[in-house]
Amino acid sequence: MIPVIGLVIGVGVGLWMQPTVPLSLQPYLPIAIVAALDAVVGALRALGEKRFDDRVFVVSFISNVVIAAAMVFLGDQLGVGSQLSTGVIVVLGIRIFANAAAIRRRIFHA
Amino acid sequence: MTHPAGAVREATSLLGQIADTALDDDYYVFRGSDAPRTRWDGAWVAVLIVLFAIIMTAAAVQTREDRPATELERRTLAQDIEARRQVLESRQSTASELRDEVESLRASAARVDPRTEDLRLVAADVPAEGPGIVATASGSPDDVVGGRISDNDLQLLVNGLWYAGAEAIAVNGNRLGSLSSIRTAGDAITVNFRSIGPPYTVIALGDPDTLTERFSENQGGAYWEARAKSSGLRLSMTPSSEVSVPAVPAGRLDLKHATALEVDR
Repeated sequence: MIPVIGLVIGVGVGLWMQPTVPLSLQPYLPIAIVAALDAVVGALRALGEKRFDDRVFVVSFISNVVIAAAMVFLGDQLGVGSQLSTGVIVVLGIRIFANAAAIRRRIFHA
Repeated sequence: MTHPAGAVREATSLLGQIADTALDDDYYVFRGSDAPRTRWDGAWVAVLIVLFAIIMTAAAVQTREDRPATELERRTLAQDIEARRQVLESRQSTASELRDEVESLRASAARVDPRTEDLRLVAADVPAEGPGIVATASGSPDDVVGGRISDNDLQLLVNGLWYAGAEAIAVNGNRLGSLSSIRTAGDAITVNFRSIGPPYTVIALGDPDTLTERFSENQGGAYWEARAKSSGLRLSMTPSSEVSVPAVPAGRLDLKHATALEVDR
Protein backbone atom coordinates (compact mmCIF):
# COMPACT_ATOMS: atom_id res chain seq x y z
CA MET A 1 0.00 0.00 0.00
CA ILE A 2 2.81 2.35 0.89
CA PRO A 3 4.36 2.30 -2.61
CA VAL A 4 1.07 3.14 -4.33
CA ILE A 5 0.35 5.99 -1.95
CA GLY A 6 3.92 7.21 -2.38
CA LEU A 7 3.57 7.13 -6.17
CA VAL A 8 0.31 9.06 -6.10
CA ILE A 9 1.69 11.66 -3.69
CA GLY A 10 4.86 12.02 -5.75
CA VAL A 11 3.04 12.49 -9.05
CA GLY A 12 0.66 14.94 -7.37
CA VAL A 13 3.50 16.96 -5.91
CA GLY A 14 5.33 16.91 -9.22
CA LEU A 15 2.30 18.16 -11.13
CA TRP A 16 1.37 20.71 -8.50
CA MET A 17 4.75 22.25 -7.86
CA GLN A 18 6.30 21.59 -11.26
CA PRO A 19 9.87 21.73 -10.01
CA THR A 20 12.38 22.75 -12.65
CA VAL A 21 15.35 20.52 -13.05
CA PRO A 22 18.66 22.40 -12.94
CA LEU A 23 20.15 22.66 -16.40
CA SER A 24 23.38 20.95 -15.33
CA LEU A 25 21.47 17.90 -14.14
CA GLN A 26 19.19 17.60 -17.14
CA PRO A 27 21.34 15.22 -19.22
CA TYR A 28 21.48 12.71 -16.34
CA LEU A 29 17.83 12.85 -15.39
CA PRO A 30 16.45 10.37 -17.95
CA ILE A 31 19.17 7.82 -17.18
CA ALA A 32 18.61 8.27 -13.44
CA ILE A 33 14.89 7.71 -13.94
CA VAL A 34 15.44 4.54 -15.95
CA ALA A 35 17.86 3.28 -13.27
CA ALA A 36 15.32 4.05 -10.55
CA LEU A 37 12.65 2.31 -12.62
CA ASP A 38 14.88 -0.76 -12.74
CA ALA A 39 15.14 -0.74 -8.96
CA VAL A 40 11.38 -0.32 -8.60
CA VAL A 41 10.56 -3.16 -11.00
CA GLY A 42 13.12 -5.36 -9.23
CA ALA A 43 11.48 -4.54 -5.93
CA LEU A 44 8.07 -5.43 -7.33
CA ARG A 45 9.40 -8.80 -8.47
CA ALA A 46 11.00 -9.42 -5.08
CA LEU A 47 7.73 -8.47 -3.46
CA GLY A 48 5.98 -11.09 -5.57
CA GLU A 49 8.57 -13.69 -4.65
CA LYS A 50 8.18 -12.78 -1.02
CA ARG A 51 11.82 -11.77 -0.87
CA PHE A 52 11.36 -8.02 -0.60
CA ASP A 53 13.69 -6.31 1.77
CA ASP A 54 13.41 -2.60 2.56
CA ARG A 55 17.09 -2.09 3.02
CA VAL A 56 18.05 -3.86 -0.19
CA PHE A 57 15.56 -1.73 -2.10
CA VAL A 58 16.84 1.51 -0.60
CA VAL A 59 20.45 0.63 -1.29
CA SER A 60 19.84 -0.69 -4.81
CA PHE A 61 17.67 2.33 -5.68
CA ILE A 62 20.23 4.89 -4.57
CA SER A 63 23.22 3.02 -5.96
CA ASN A 64 21.46 2.45 -9.29
CA VAL A 65 20.66 6.13 -9.68
CA VAL A 66 24.07 7.33 -8.57
CA ILE A 67 26.03 4.83 -10.67
CA ALA A 68 23.96 5.44 -13.80
CA ALA A 69 24.29 9.22 -13.48
CA ALA A 70 28.00 8.90 -12.69
CA MET A 71 28.59 6.73 -15.75
CA VAL A 72 26.88 9.19 -18.04
CA PHE A 73 28.76 12.06 -16.41
CA LEU A 74 32.04 10.23 -16.89
CA GLY A 75 31.10 9.42 -20.48
CA ASP A 76 30.35 13.08 -21.10
CA GLN A 77 33.75 14.06 -19.78
CA LEU A 78 35.39 11.43 -22.02
CA GLY A 79 33.34 12.40 -25.04
CA VAL A 80 31.46 9.10 -25.23
CA GLY A 81 28.41 10.25 -23.26
CA SER A 82 25.82 9.21 -25.80
CA GLN A 83 27.36 5.77 -26.37
CA LEU A 84 27.62 5.12 -22.66
CA SER A 85 24.02 6.28 -22.15
CA THR A 86 22.96 3.82 -24.82
CA GLY A 87 24.86 1.03 -23.06
CA VAL A 88 23.35 1.86 -19.68
CA ILE A 89 19.86 2.07 -21.20
CA VAL A 90 20.29 -1.29 -22.93
CA VAL A 91 21.43 -3.07 -19.75
CA LEU A 92 18.75 -1.48 -17.59
CA GLY A 93 16.12 -2.10 -20.26
CA ILE A 94 16.99 -5.80 -20.42
CA ARG A 95 16.83 -6.03 -16.62
CA ILE A 96 13.47 -4.26 -16.54
CA PHE A 97 12.09 -6.56 -19.21
CA ALA A 98 13.41 -9.69 -17.49
CA ASN A 99 11.95 -8.64 -14.12
CA ALA A 100 8.66 -7.68 -15.71
CA ALA A 101 8.60 -11.08 -17.41
CA ALA A 102 9.19 -12.80 -14.07
CA ILE A 103 6.34 -10.81 -12.50
CA ARG A 104 4.10 -11.68 -15.42
CA ARG A 105 4.93 -15.38 -15.06
CA ARG A 106 4.11 -15.28 -11.36
CA ILE A 107 0.79 -13.48 -11.85
CA PHE A 108 -0.53 -15.24 -14.94
CA HIS A 109 1.37 -18.54 -14.52
CA ALA A 110 2.40 -18.23 -18.13
CA MET B 1 26.50 -15.86 -4.78
CA THR B 2 23.16 -17.55 -5.12
CA HIS B 3 21.38 -17.55 -8.42
CA PRO B 4 17.66 -17.56 -9.13
CA ALA B 5 17.45 -21.09 -10.45
CA GLY B 6 19.58 -22.30 -7.59
CA ALA B 7 22.26 -23.45 -9.99
CA VAL B 8 24.99 -21.53 -11.71
CA ARG B 9 23.88 -21.27 -15.27
CA GLU B 10 26.35 -20.68 -17.99
CA ALA B 11 25.40 -17.40 -19.47
CA THR B 12 25.36 -17.87 -23.23
CA SER B 13 26.06 -14.24 -23.74
CA LEU B 14 26.53 -11.03 -21.94
CA LEU B 15 22.94 -10.00 -22.60
CA GLY B 16 21.71 -13.38 -21.43
CA GLN B 17 23.69 -13.01 -18.26
CA ILE B 18 22.19 -9.60 -17.69
CA ALA B 19 18.71 -11.01 -18.14
CA ASP B 20 19.45 -13.95 -15.84
CA THR B 21 20.67 -11.79 -13.01
CA ALA B 22 17.97 -9.20 -13.52
CA LEU B 23 16.96 -9.28 -9.89
CA ASP B 24 19.65 -7.94 -7.62
CA ASP B 25 21.41 -10.76 -5.90
CA ASP B 26 21.06 -8.91 -2.65
CA TYR B 27 17.41 -9.86 -2.43
CA TYR B 28 18.54 -13.50 -2.15
CA VAL B 29 21.56 -12.84 0.00
CA PHE B 30 20.00 -10.46 2.48
CA ARG B 31 17.18 -12.79 3.25
CA GLY B 32 17.45 -14.03 6.77
CA SER B 33 20.10 -11.57 7.84
CA ASP B 34 19.59 -10.76 11.39
CA ALA B 35 20.13 -7.04 11.15
CA PRO B 36 17.49 -5.40 13.28
CA ARG B 37 14.65 -4.12 11.19
CA THR B 38 13.14 -0.83 12.12
CA ARG B 39 10.20 1.22 10.91
CA TRP B 40 12.72 3.59 9.36
CA ASP B 41 13.34 1.11 6.59
CA GLY B 42 9.73 1.36 5.50
CA ALA B 43 9.87 5.16 5.73
CA TRP B 44 12.93 5.20 3.52
CA VAL B 45 11.09 3.15 0.91
CA ALA B 46 8.19 5.58 0.99
CA VAL B 47 10.50 8.58 0.71
CA LEU B 48 12.33 7.06 -2.23
CA ILE B 49 9.09 6.17 -3.99
CA VAL B 50 7.81 9.72 -3.56
CA LEU B 51 11.13 11.10 -4.76
CA PHE B 52 11.08 8.81 -7.75
CA ALA B 53 7.55 9.86 -8.68
CA ILE B 54 8.39 13.54 -8.29
CA ILE B 55 11.51 13.31 -10.45
CA MET B 56 9.73 11.28 -13.09
CA THR B 57 6.84 13.74 -13.21
CA ALA B 58 9.19 16.70 -13.32
CA ALA B 59 11.15 15.18 -16.19
CA ALA B 60 7.98 14.34 -18.09
CA VAL B 61 6.56 17.82 -17.53
CA GLN B 62 9.80 19.44 -18.59
CA THR B 63 10.08 17.36 -21.74
CA ARG B 64 6.48 18.23 -22.54
CA GLU B 65 7.13 21.93 -22.03
CA ASP B 66 10.29 21.79 -24.10
CA ARG B 67 8.41 20.28 -26.98
CA PRO B 68 6.67 23.52 -28.09
CA ALA B 69 10.07 25.19 -28.45
CA THR B 70 11.36 22.30 -30.54
CA GLU B 71 8.14 22.29 -32.50
CA LEU B 72 8.39 26.03 -33.04
CA GLU B 73 11.95 25.70 -34.23
CA ARG B 74 10.98 22.95 -36.60
CA ARG B 75 8.08 24.99 -37.98
CA THR B 76 10.32 28.03 -38.41
CA LEU B 77 12.78 25.89 -40.32
CA ALA B 78 10.00 24.51 -42.48
CA GLN B 79 8.75 28.03 -43.21
CA ASP B 80 12.31 29.08 -43.99
CA ILE B 81 12.64 26.23 -46.46
CA GLU B 82 9.33 27.14 -48.05
CA ALA B 83 10.32 30.81 -48.34
CA ARG B 84 13.66 29.91 -49.87
CA ARG B 85 11.96 27.57 -52.29
CA GLN B 86 9.64 30.37 -53.37
CA VAL B 87 12.58 32.71 -53.80
CA LEU B 88 14.29 30.06 -55.88
CA GLU B 89 11.19 29.59 -57.99
CA SER B 90 10.80 33.31 -58.60
CA ARG B 91 14.48 33.62 -59.44
CA GLN B 92 14.18 30.74 -61.84
CA SER B 93 11.18 32.28 -63.52
CA THR B 94 13.03 35.60 -63.71
CA ALA B 95 16.00 33.80 -65.22
CA SER B 96 13.77 32.13 -67.76
CA GLU B 97 12.08 35.44 -68.59
CA LEU B 98 15.44 37.09 -69.04
CA ARG B 99 16.57 34.18 -71.17
CA ASP B 100 13.52 34.64 -73.38
CA GLU B 101 14.22 38.36 -73.54
CA VAL B 102 17.81 37.72 -74.57
CA GLU B 103 16.58 35.28 -77.16
CA SER B 104 14.08 37.74 -78.64
CA LEU B 105 16.59 40.58 -78.55
CA ARG B 106 19.12 38.42 -80.30
CA ALA B 107 16.52 37.51 -82.89
CA SER B 108 15.58 41.17 -83.43
CA ALA B 109 19.25 42.10 -83.65
CA ALA B 110 19.69 39.42 -86.28
CA ARG B 111 16.75 40.89 -88.17
CA VAL B 112 18.29 44.37 -88.06
CA ASP B 113 21.76 43.10 -88.89
CA PRO B 114 21.72 43.09 -92.72
CA ARG B 115 20.71 46.73 -92.85
CA THR B 116 23.25 47.65 -90.19
CA GLU B 117 25.91 45.84 -92.16
CA ASP B 118 24.91 47.71 -95.33
CA LEU B 119 25.05 51.02 -93.51
CA ARG B 120 28.40 50.20 -91.99
CA LEU B 121 29.68 49.33 -95.42
CA VAL B 122 28.50 52.64 -96.83
CA ALA B 123 29.88 54.52 -93.84
CA ALA B 124 33.25 52.83 -94.46
CA ASP B 125 33.19 51.30 -91.00
CA VAL B 126 34.08 47.84 -92.26
CA PRO B 127 36.62 46.59 -94.79
CA ALA B 128 35.10 45.86 -98.20
CA GLU B 129 36.08 43.70 -101.10
CA GLY B 130 34.66 42.85 -104.47
CA PRO B 131 34.96 43.80 -108.12
CA GLY B 132 36.20 47.30 -108.89
CA ILE B 133 38.88 49.26 -110.62
CA VAL B 134 42.40 50.26 -109.73
CA ALA B 135 43.19 53.75 -110.93
CA THR B 136 46.87 54.68 -110.91
CA ALA B 137 47.71 58.35 -111.27
CA SER B 138 51.18 59.76 -111.60
CA GLY B 139 52.64 63.11 -112.45
CA SER B 140 54.21 64.13 -115.67
CA PRO B 141 57.61 62.59 -116.27
CA ASP B 142 58.74 65.91 -117.70
CA ASP B 143 59.33 68.91 -115.50
CA VAL B 144 56.46 71.07 -116.63
CA VAL B 145 54.33 73.59 -114.79
CA GLY B 146 51.46 71.80 -113.10
CA GLY B 147 53.10 68.44 -113.79
CA ARG B 148 52.67 67.37 -110.17
CA ILE B 149 49.45 65.91 -108.93
CA SER B 150 47.81 68.27 -106.48
CA ASP B 151 45.24 67.59 -103.77
CA ASN B 152 42.67 69.16 -106.06
CA ASP B 153 43.47 66.63 -108.78
CA LEU B 154 42.95 63.75 -106.38
CA GLN B 155 39.76 65.28 -104.98
CA LEU B 156 38.30 65.58 -108.45
CA LEU B 157 39.38 62.04 -109.31
CA VAL B 158 37.75 60.67 -106.18
CA ASN B 159 34.60 62.72 -106.63
CA GLY B 160 34.42 61.60 -110.23
CA LEU B 161 34.61 58.01 -109.11
CA TRP B 162 31.93 58.59 -106.45
CA TYR B 163 29.79 60.17 -109.10
CA ALA B 164 30.45 57.23 -111.38
CA GLY B 165 28.91 54.97 -108.78
CA ALA B 166 31.80 53.75 -106.64
CA GLU B 167 30.69 52.15 -103.40
CA ALA B 168 33.98 52.36 -101.54
CA ILE B 169 37.18 54.20 -102.34
CA ALA B 170 40.65 54.00 -100.89
CA VAL B 171 43.58 56.21 -101.81
CA ASN B 172 46.92 54.48 -101.33
CA GLY B 173 45.26 52.14 -98.87
CA ASN B 174 43.44 54.88 -96.97
CA ARG B 175 39.74 54.32 -97.01
CA LEU B 176 37.61 57.40 -97.53
CA GLY B 177 34.82 58.01 -95.06
CA SER B 178 32.42 60.84 -94.46
CA LEU B 179 35.06 62.83 -92.54
CA SER B 180 38.04 61.97 -94.70
CA SER B 181 39.93 64.76 -96.37
CA ILE B 182 42.44 65.00 -99.17
CA ARG B 183 44.70 67.96 -98.50
CA THR B 184 48.11 69.27 -99.32
CA ALA B 185 50.43 69.52 -96.39
CA GLY B 186 53.77 70.88 -97.41
CA ASP B 187 55.13 68.78 -100.26
CA ALA B 188 52.93 65.80 -99.63
CA ILE B 189 49.28 65.07 -99.84
CA THR B 190 47.53 63.73 -96.76
CA VAL B 191 44.54 61.45 -96.69
CA ASN B 192 43.00 60.85 -93.27
CA PHE B 193 45.96 62.90 -91.96
CA ARG B 194 48.37 60.32 -93.36
CA SER B 195 50.93 61.51 -95.83
CA ILE B 196 51.06 59.75 -99.14
CA GLY B 197 53.22 60.20 -102.22
CA PRO B 198 53.09 59.35 -105.89
CA PRO B 199 52.19 57.18 -107.59
CA TYR B 200 48.66 57.48 -106.33
CA THR B 201 46.64 54.31 -106.43
CA VAL B 202 42.94 54.82 -106.08
CA ILE B 203 40.86 51.69 -105.59
CA ALA B 204 37.15 52.01 -106.22
CA LEU B 205 34.65 49.24 -105.63
CA GLY B 206 31.82 48.93 -108.07
CA ASP B 207 31.03 47.41 -111.44
CA PRO B 208 34.37 47.88 -113.32
CA ASP B 209 32.84 48.52 -116.75
CA THR B 210 30.22 50.98 -115.52
CA LEU B 211 32.72 52.79 -113.33
CA THR B 212 35.20 53.28 -116.14
CA GLU B 213 32.56 54.31 -118.61
CA ARG B 214 30.72 56.72 -116.35
CA PHE B 215 33.94 58.26 -115.04
CA SER B 216 35.13 59.05 -118.53
CA GLU B 217 31.79 60.73 -119.21
CA ASN B 218 31.49 62.90 -116.10
CA GLN B 219 33.30 66.03 -115.01
CA GLY B 220 36.03 64.17 -113.17
CA GLY B 221 36.91 62.24 -116.30
CA ALA B 222 36.82 65.37 -118.42
CA TYR B 223 39.03 67.26 -115.97
CA TRP B 224 41.63 64.51 -115.93
CA GLU B 225 41.57 64.25 -119.70
CA ALA B 226 42.26 67.98 -119.89
CA ARG B 227 45.03 67.72 -117.27
CA ALA B 228 46.63 64.87 -119.16
CA LYS B 229 46.61 66.88 -122.33
CA SER B 230 47.90 70.12 -120.80
CA SER B 231 50.36 68.90 -118.19
CA GLY B 232 51.10 65.29 -119.10
CA LEU B 233 49.49 63.69 -116.05
CA ARG B 234 48.88 60.00 -116.51
CA LEU B 235 45.90 58.05 -115.32
CA SER B 236 45.41 54.38 -115.96
CA MET B 237 42.34 52.44 -114.97
CA THR B 238 42.54 48.69 -114.57
CA PRO B 239 39.36 46.74 -113.99
CA SER B 240 39.74 43.99 -111.40
CA SER B 241 37.36 41.26 -110.29
CA GLU B 242 38.68 41.24 -106.74
CA VAL B 243 39.93 44.32 -104.96
CA SER B 244 39.71 45.14 -101.31
CA VAL B 245 39.76 48.30 -99.22
CA PRO B 246 40.33 48.57 -95.44
CA ALA B 247 38.03 50.22 -92.95
CA VAL B 248 38.35 53.92 -92.28
CA PRO B 249 40.21 54.80 -89.05
CA ALA B 250 37.80 55.05 -86.12
CA GLY B 251 38.67 58.72 -85.54
CA ARG B 252 37.40 59.57 -89.04
CA LEU B 253 33.96 58.14 -88.23
CA ASP B 254 33.28 60.09 -85.08
CA LEU B 255 30.40 62.13 -86.42
CA LYS B 256 29.20 64.69 -83.86
CA HIS B 257 26.40 66.28 -85.83
CA ALA B 258 24.79 65.59 -89.17
CA THR B 259 21.75 66.73 -91.10
CA ALA B 260 20.10 64.61 -93.73
CA LEU B 261 20.35 66.15 -97.17
CA GLU B 262 17.21 66.32 -99.30
CA VAL B 263 18.26 64.70 -102.55
CA ASP B 264 16.08 64.40 -105.59
CA ARG B 265 16.62 61.09 -107.18
